[in-house]
Amino acid sequence: MKKRKWSIAAMIAAVMMFMLAACNSSPSNNNASGGNNSGGSGGEAGTVNIGYSGPLSGPAAYYGQRTLNGLKMAAEEINNSGGFEVKGKKYKINIVSLDDKYLPNETAANAKRLVQEHHTPIIFTPHSGGVMALQVFNQTDNFIIAAYTSEPKITQTGNKLTVRIPPRYDGYIPTFTDYAMKRFGKKLAALPTATQYGKDWTEKLLPYWEKQGGKVVYKSSIDFTKDTDFFTIVTNALKEKPDVLFIGGASEPTAKVAKQARELGFKGGFIIMDQAKLDEMKRVTGSYDMLEGSIGVMPLIESDEPAVPDFVKNYRAKFNEDPGSEAAYNYLALYAFVEAMKAAGTVDDPQAIREHMNDGLKNIPEEKKVYNVPSIGEDGGFESEIVVAAVENGEIVPIELKQ
Amino acid sequence: MELFIQQLLNGLTVGSVYSLVALGLTLVYGILHIPNFAHGALYMMGGYVTLTAMTKLGLPYGLAIIVSMAAVGLLGVLMERLVFYPLRDAPPLHDKIAAIGILLFLEAFAQFVWGADYQTMPTPYGDVVNIFGFTLTIQRILIIASAVVIMVLLYIFLKKTFIGASIIAMAQNREGANLVGINTNKVAMLTFLLSGSLAALAASLASPINLVFPGMGHLVILKAFVIIILGGMGSIPGAIVGGYILGFSESLGATYVSNDYKDIIAFVILVIILTVKPNGLFAKEGR
Repeated sequence: MKKRKWSIAAMIAAVMMFMLAACNSSPSNNNASGGNNSGGSGGEAGTVNIGYSGPLSGPAAYYGQRTLNGLKMAAEEINNSGGFEVKGKKYKINIVSLDDKYLPNETAANAKRLVQEHHTPIIFTPHSGGVMALQVFNQTDNFIIAAYTSEPKITQTGNKLTVRIPPRYDGYIPTFTDYAMKRFGKKLAALPTATQYGKDWTEKLLPYWEKQGGKVVYKSSIDFTKDTDFFTIVTNALKEKPDVLFIGGASEPTAKVAKQARELGFKGGFIIMDQAKLDEMKRVTGSYDMLEGSIGVMPLIESDEPAVPDFVKNYRAKFNEDPGSEAAYNYLALYAFVEAMKAAGTVDDPQAIREHMNDGLKNIPEEKKVYNVPSIGEDGGFESEIVVAAVENGEIVPIELKQ
Repeated sequence: MELFIQQLLNGLTVGSVYSLVALGLTLVYGILHIPNFAHGALYMMGGYVTLTAMTKLGLPYGLAIIVSMAAVGLLGVLMERLVFYPLRDAPPLHDKIAAIGILLFLEAFAQFVWGADYQTMPTPYGDVVNIFGFTLTIQRILIIASAVVIMVLLYIFLKKTFIGASIIAMAQNREGANLVGINTNKVAMLTFLLSGSLAALAASLASPINLVFPGMGHLVILKAFVIIILGGMGSIPGAIVGGYILGFSESLGATYVSNDYKDIIAFVILVIILTVKPNGLFAKEGR
């Protein structure tokens, strides 16, 4: 009897080990052997550890993976070309990635670990919750948050070591509203994703829509982590006869919402939140016809920046899929940080690096500029040119920005 | 009125999916007497196997579903043999922990093999049909029809065949069933086979209207638990009726009360039913 007990205990232990192994399998590419980015004189090539904390498992893993891919690609390119030189010393980049499962508290724990174990001067994180958690202590622990989120709040807190990479989402709202209202009409139904981000977006868009003389006929949200089918909510929204639907969230489920709206006979246009990308939505709907009249962010692969074709080609070769802006912006940002380190003459003083970000952005090699980001604002936000696109007659058409 | 019927149809669609998932869960509960937390993972595996059979092997949708039902059914059997059978004399807590372990393992496995991104399952039945002014797609009619067919078949199987009866016997009393000469090992494996196949079928039917991704099991598993509690743990009619109650309460609640409160409505119904019938709607007497 006793023997049996032991064997059962061993069994459970084995299962637990399995669980742990399974949990740890995703973020395992951090083979950094501690931080040796002391940057002192002498010695051969040094290593700069760059931290990353984002969702690498769970429902948002695809998103975390894409943002990380951009960083990895930039790091690999820089390392393959022999690294970069700061004050006569060569450095290579090592990306240390940790999984935070999209949870802000995990982001904070990861950041502590990255700073203490790997001495990372910069930590990338692709979600606003994580950024806010890091802003609590990043100035005392002395590291830059490279924030991939279009949430305007994060640069309004006066945090001196936060760099916001993508454009603020409120920049899109006038253009989106203007276009959709002129082309389709004044009645709007809002069905964004039920995340904090979706709610913030909605709270910015709806008042503006009403100020322009529009009417909000239906307002709710869809929880993509809980709803199997969107027919119910879309039916309810459509019974108010809206001219325009505001939808958004991750590209693929958003595309499903658009598709089901068409199936239920919706003929109007879509305003698409910047989180969803038209080209990724097209993969779900099959063609742009179903998305006719959508206005959203310009898909990267349709962009006419000269550096884009090469980037798309290399990314496809490496990861076997089309890159989106998640990868491209993080790619660009890493180049900007490296150039800023060169300009600042240091790899481990975050304040100096932050102060030289403007030089960094200016010095990015032309062939790497997948987006045109001329400068960084006082508040730490990249001042990118916003590029907006709409689907007209089944084709992506760039739309002039409304000031 | 039109809206009401349209929403009834919508409720019927999701209710069918919920019922199929809950059926598998309730069958296993009858055998193990623990909630199988890994059932959502079986659902997810069903979606992926069907998708892979369609895209990689080029099988037609119908055949891919059958392949998937067989594969996930076998996975269920494997689970029973490798994990739950050795734990049969252990305290119930160990089964629960093991089930959670399987859940985590399978999710990580799916992400490792198929990647973390959302995938679309194509369906040959995507066309929209309008019946008396109500909108349905053929896929949705297929979901409703096949759910009903499967439920009827399952009911006949359990009530009219010897093997079916032995499953029920074992659910009622494991030792008693053993005493009258039922091979409880075989019955346990068979139950897991059925449970896995049902999960795979539900996932394959529902995936074309949603997406396939490693976390897709979470969409249904919590609801399936609500359903089997509401319907009575281990009860087959309870799982079916409970599934439709939840489907209708979601679609009608979202329409006539508020979309933001539709989950609350479902849980209020659960509380009311449990207040009146503490063991669920179809709880077996004397157990």
